[in-house]
Amino acid sequence: MFVSEIDMLSPRSLKECLFILENEKSSLRLLAGGTDAVVRMKEGKWRPDYWVNLKHVDELRFITIQKDEIQIGPLTTHSEIINSPLLQAHADVLVQACQEIGATQMQNMGTIGGNIATASPAGDTIPALYALGAVIELTSLSGKRMINVEDFFIGPGKTAAQPNEIISKIAFNVRGKNDIGIFQKLGPRKAQSISIVNAAVTLSMKQGTKECTGGRIAFGSVGPTVIRAKKCEAMLTLGPLTDEMIANIGRVAWKEVMPISDIRASASYRRDMASALLERGLYRLLKRWAEHEE
Amino acid sequence: MKTIDFCVNGKNVSVICSPAKTLLDVLREDAGLTGSKECCGKGECGSCTVLLNDVPVCSCLVLAGQVEGERVVTVEGIGTKQAMDPVQQAFVDEGATQCGYCTPGLIVASRAYLTSIGHVPGLDEIKRALGGNLCRCTGYTKILQAVQTAAARQLSSREL
Repeated sequence: MFVSEIDMLSPRSLKECLFILENEKSSLRLLAGGTDAVVRMKEGKWRPDYWVNLKHVDELRFITIQKDEIQIGPLTTHSEIINSPLLQAHADVLVQACQEIGATQMQNMGTIGGNIATASPAGDTIPALYALGAVIELTSLSGKRMINVEDFFIGPGKTAAQPNEIISKIAFNVRGKNDIGIFQKLGPRKAQSISIVNAAVTLSMKQGTKECTGGRIAFGSVGPTVIRAKKCEAMLTLGPLTDEMIANIGRVAWKEVMPISDIRASASYRRDMASALLERGLYRLLKRWAEHEE
Repeated sequence: MKTIDFCVNGKNVSVICSPAKTLLDVLREDAGLTGSKECCGKGECGSCTVLLNDVPVCSCLVLAGQVEGERVVTVEGIGTKQAMDPVQQAFVDEGATQCGYCTPGLIVASRAYLTSIGHVPGLDEIKRALGGNLCRCTGYTKILQAVQTAAARQLSSREL
């Protein structure tokens, strides 16, 4: 099939979009920011009968706070997340992750929903959403369902979303003033690169101490999906985060990740870097916490 | 084939093309605006940068069907030979162009960046803002100089 034979549907509402997904018998692909989808079309991998252009489904573009929950529409671009005062205050780890995605042009085009649905093991927003304990709302004509972000990803490019479903919301709880988070990325170069390893960490600190009452650690690009390092997380609450404790957590991370060797890096390098990124992230978080306490 | 109506550089245009044709190809082949260049075709190099509703994007990854009713500005809309934009004038004065292939994208991205700030940016700030525009000739030194020069002139003309 040639690119010139591909047609486009541009629904004006979520309902119209869902109706297309439910009833259209031709092959379809959703098109959000296009930073990944259009490249795949050019490479010949994706040649659907129709692109479903989501650009005009404005109801999927929002950043709001409802009681204790922050809600983000899937068509929100990375730039909109970076520039949102609400997310800067309540989801530092996600803002930092979006800042690490590509360059200005890609941040202006790419959407958080697209980053999730593409389900790349190296996707930068995904570890941040793991660390925030986010839930994803999927909508179809027959209703809505919520799914934990960790259960959403099945493998590279594979998700729990059915063909008639669309991501309609990303939500997570507002974080307290003792909650801090950081996103760390190692790419082949400083700017606009695909991650060799990335790590997102959130900690809930105990006032006036170096101890934390809980935390989440997620790694990207070290397995078929983003993973949560639950053994490392369990160590966070064993005692104060001393140099020795941080080194131990780093060693556990080395064992807990399951990377492969590929074009970007070898498995053993990825292991080393996963533990280094985590240790560095913990030190940076503690430094920030100490400054905040002063 | 579909008829797609949109606004380029302030003029309404109507083109008949496949909706999956890239905006870049539409601009170059159907609208006769050959300023924007295709280089990597994957959104990594920025030589196809245009403004879509005032925001810099890679036109090689935007499809024609997505720009129906939208506003596009290409390098031709930033300034003309007769009336150059301060960014274009600064690129000329500083010699910030060699083969010229990346220049249209850099002009558009620099224009958008300088419109969004109100000071003369430092080198690191410019590097971050223009990280999506690659140049294989200049080594960037003169490009960075040109952006600073343009920013300084823009600021002094505002103060006048």
